[in-house]
Amino acid sequence: MSRRGAELRIGAVSYHPRVVTIWEKFIEHFEHSAVPIDYILYSNYPRLVSAVLDGDVEIGWNTNTAFVELEQQLGEQAPILGMRDIDAEYATVIITRRGEGFEQAGQLSGRRLALGSRDSGHAAILPLYYLRQQGFDAETGCELIRFDTDIGKHGDTGDSELRVVRAIALGEADAGAIGEPTLAAFRGERLAELADIEVSWRSPTYYHCNFTALPTLDRELTQRWSEALLAMSYDDPQMRPAMTLEGVKQWLPGDRSGYEALADAMRQTLP
Amino acid sequence: MTRELDAGALELGGGLEVLLAASIDPMQPGARLLVRTPSRATAYELHGWARRAGHRAVAERLPDGGPYELEIERGAHRGVLADPLPARASGPKPADGRMRTSELRWQAEVPASTPASCGFAPLGSIPELGAPRFDWTLNDRDRIWADDVAELVDQAGAAQWDAASAVPWDAALELPEFMERAVSQVMTFIAQNEYAALYVPARFLPGVNPAFPEMVMWLSRHVHDEARHIEVFTKRSLIGGQASYSLASTELSLHSLLEEHDFSGCALLLNVLGEGTFLDLLQFVDQHAPDAATRAAAALAHRDEVRHVHFGISHVRRRIALDPAERAALVAVAERRASKLTQMSGLSPLLVEGLTIMAAGSLQPAELSHGADAVKGLMKTMETNRLKRLAAAGFDPQTAQYLSDLHTPNLM
Repeated sequence: MSRRGAELRIGAVSYHPRVVTIWEKFIEHFEHSAVPIDYILYSNYPRLVSAVLDGDVEIGWNTNTAFVELEQQLGEQAPILGMRDIDAEYATVIITRRGEGFEQAGQLSGRRLALGSRDSGHAAILPLYYLRQQGFDAETGCELIRFDTDIGKHGDTGDSELRVVRAIALGEADAGAIGEPTLAAFRGERLAELADIEVSWRSPTYYHCNFTALPTLDRELTQRWSEALLAMSYDDPQMRPAMTLEGVKQWLPGDRSGYEALADAMRQTLP
Repeated sequence: MTRELDAGALELGGGLEVLLAASIDPMQPGARLLVRTPSRATAYELHGWARRAGHRAVAERLPDGGPYELEIERGAHRGVLADPLPARASGPKPADGRMRTSELRWQAEVPASTPASCGFAPLGSIPELGAPRFDWTLNDRDRIWADDVAELVDQAGAAQWDAASAVPWDAALELPEFMERAVSQVMTFIAQNEYAALYVPARFLPGVNPAFPEMVMWLSRHVHDEARHIEVFTKRSLIGGQASYSLASTELSLHSLLEEHDFSGCALLLNVLGEGTFLDLLQFVDQHAPDAATRAAAALAHRDEVRHVHFGISHVRRRIALDPAERAALVAVAERRASKLTQMSGLSPLLVEGLTIMAAGSLQPAELSHGADAVKGLMKTMETNRLKRLAAAGFDPQTAQYLSDLHTPNLM
């Protein structure tokens, strides 16, 4: 099957060279599932969102921020075709040095709060939003230290969160917001700077990435593709390495209930 | 049913993850583990650990002041893509405090063949799916096996020696020039041949299917023995300061040996015929060398070569017993090699001179005559013993004589 003859083009953002490894393997899976795809990589999410809206790709592998942007630009709901297990229970944590934690959001007042890239839902937009929900406006109550690295990649590279951790470890910040999976990954990698860092606050859970299409895409085709996605198994030795790189152990059906907070936050902060 | 785990003061990154994995991995998918911790920070962080490990946090209790609890439901995926480990059973039993290589097979016979694609799975281990496919070339037991290979591995392991210190090197100094020249030439000749004795088994080693660890170990030790022989004979040739020749006729003979690619063919040409003949040569050097260093080097190498020859005889005998047609195939191997050596006529005169002077001990005519007789005797002994070895390997007297006649004049 020639890739040019693929039924669906999937757009994704190349936040790391491993994205190629992942999609070259995913292509095999969809080919075996008789829903042949090709993939097209973009360097940033705004361009991917435009590509989906312009019909350059049929499906976008979007961050939550990209998805919300896409729907806001589209002006209507966009079908969600699937997400990772990890996307269904995403959370942000605020970390502090050991013994310097806080019980209530308000106790952050006057402290230096480090944030990841400002277009990252989990490392910047949502922590500020949830703190505000809990009655604390960190933008006025804290000295914000923003690490706006890799703007356009919505925090995917993890670089800004690593800088948040280092800032706290070095005493350059008192607290910092990072994604819960990022913290788990750093712990798993035995990141030395985490030795004396602990979690002081955990946000409500929300949804993260998803596969988004336009409402005009053929319903039967999207259905077949979603079924093929969900059939990908972590117990399949051919797929496990790529799924591990993608951070997924099980694909879940699309669901739109976990984006309200982010949509609300982005309406409040974006023009 | 929900199991409970008290994390105590353990934290993630500080050992708690090990305790969690040990507790939850053996549980059935869907079973639950209630983790209790006095640290709210740890309770928060457990969510991320659970998700990353493929499980789910399904309930959380965070009362003021603690202790804090998180209930984790075990995920459905397998941690390792393989069947569950079997229950612990008894392992091989050491006898007299020694764990012999033959004990590797305490549970099952050596398989007749094993898939060419299998990986480096040590005996008794359960390979995980998803590994890349290898493509080993030696996957049939009978093409490579010898019934006593495990014992030979153990003997080789117990008989290692250090070429730097096992030889009384000082004894090699200050021989008269004519004698040093003779000894150096013989040493260079032996070292030259030891290279081939190393390269031949070394070339087979990476083709051996890892399901035959005895063969992997045997060939490795064979190679290691030969490396030491190269070392000890090169050192001996250098220590007296007298250079000598690496002869083209020897190169021709060894080149033809390396052109043989069949395992059994090499066992015949190298182990049975080549190293077999070298046993007599080494014994001759041990008897006649003028200095203790040369004698020790020859005696130590002889000890190793006995094992290699034993392997060759054992392998060829087994191969022929299993498949009598192999006898003719092995004769063809010897014929093929001999056809490449037609330009050779007898042992190199330089080597004959060296051996003669070594046995004579001087350049006096009477003693040289005695030395020449000794070398003639060596040639006769070599042939007699070669015939005995070929008989032991399963060849009838007529074929044995034919093979011995075909054998390279270079000895190896």
